[in-house]
Amino acid sequence: MKDNPEQVEHIYREKTDKRILKKNPWRDYRLHGTVLILVVIAELIGTQKIPITEDVAITIMPLIYTIVLGLAFYLAKPITWIGRKQARIAEGAMMLFIGVLIAKLAVSSGQSIHLIFTMGPALILQEVGHLATILVLPIALFLGFKEEAIGMTNSIGREPNVAVVVDRYGFNSPESRGVFAIFIIGTVIGTIFISFLVTLSLSFLPLHPYAFAMASGVGSASMNAAAIGPTLAAFPGMESQIEAFAGFSNLLSFCVGIYIVIFIALPLTERMYRWLEPKIGKDSITKKEED
Amino acid sequence: MPELIDGSENISVHGIFNWILLLAIFSVITVIGNYLGYKHPITDSLVGMGILSGITLAGVWMERYLPFNISSIIYISVFGIILAFPGMPTSEFVLYYVSKVELLSIVTVFLAYVGIGMGKSWNEFKSLGWRAIVVTVLVIAATYYGAAIVAHVVLVLTGVPAV
Repeated sequence: MKDNPEQVEHIYREKTDKRILKKNPWRDYRLHGTVLILVVIAELIGTQKIPITEDVAITIMPLIYTIVLGLAFYLAKPITWIGRKQARIAEGAMMLFIGVLIAKLAVSSGQSIHLIFTMGPALILQEVGHLATILVLPIALFLGFKEEAIGMTNSIGREPNVAVVVDRYGFNSPESRGVFAIFIIGTVIGTIFISFLVTLSLSFLPLHPYAFAMASGVGSASMNAAAIGPTLAAFPGMESQIEAFAGFSNLLSFCVGIYIVIFIALPLTERMYRWLEPKIGKDSITKKEED
Repeated sequence: MPELIDGSENISVHGIFNWILLLAIFSVITVIGNYLGYKHPITDSLVGMGILSGITLAGVWMERYLPFNISSIIYISVFGIILAFPGMPTSEFVLYYVSKVELLSIVTVFLAYVGIGMGKSWNEFKSLGWRAIVVTVLVIAATYYGAAIVAHVVLVLTGVPAV
């Protein structure tokens, strides 16, 4: 990660501005043309259901095709017209397009505002449910992580969380290395992983439809997007409520979630670490991995 | 279009120009996908994307040019909620056209850009090792299930019927 601590605070804004203001990103017809082709392919294939057992089926939606094909196009050697420059523009443009997604969710929230008020307690308390990440700390210690584990398990490790951890421990601390690792891996596999996780959970877990909707607001726009897809498909006829809860819970994750991390999650993770590390800590593996 | 120079006072104009064009491209791709996937009329969904792009533009502009340190996500959410608020004069118009754009159509296009953009992190990703991948996967699952289970328990306790 090349950002220094002062920049991390406005990581979204800086990235967007650097890529959007300086170049003429709309001019990159290779990028936008490719996206159009990916979208057309994805929509033409449509949603596919793969049955596993009698009641359980994995639903693969067009959004999975576009994300996987997008990554494949970048990595595939024969496709020379999608390179690092296109990826940079895509990353900057994406930060702007998050807005459209948020706007659509906000319109659904406005339409169902009475529901939001009635479900207020559930919406606010489920933010506290995100603290469950700390349960992964013992596993991280067991795998041989040291202070890195604090950065890794205090939250889902998206941009705002990275900023908080870097601010508290410094850019070159093991805690920051940990949160950067989660950030990068989450960027690459998080979206695809959460969409399969949600698809499976929808068939296995008998939870309230609204609970699934609220849980999809994990504090990352792309993971939120990937989690809503299967949820919408699983409960036809409830689109506007599901969108309303998903949007509002994502908004809460943004406004409130960060304070939960600062005041509850990080202190709690640190305390857990100090208590558990002498008991189950292994020899550090990070040195080995870095060489 | 001339190359932009840092610090030029025209930057804001060009910035907005760039944003508008990008949003226009995004809207057109989304409307095509929306038509192929859901058969919504093209003109209606274009108007819908126009409304959503307008909200986005206002939010992004205000984040950068108003003297408050507020994220554009908050501005955009507030505008969206107000415009669709039941009883607002705008709500009927906004709801009709925005409902012609399926959320999944937007998500599909958005994630195509995400997919291409995340290719950049591929090398860093490969160097991280399986242990970190295991922890990441568990952290994401824990966040999701933590929130889902708490929400479910509170919904059941407050007596919300499972529709």
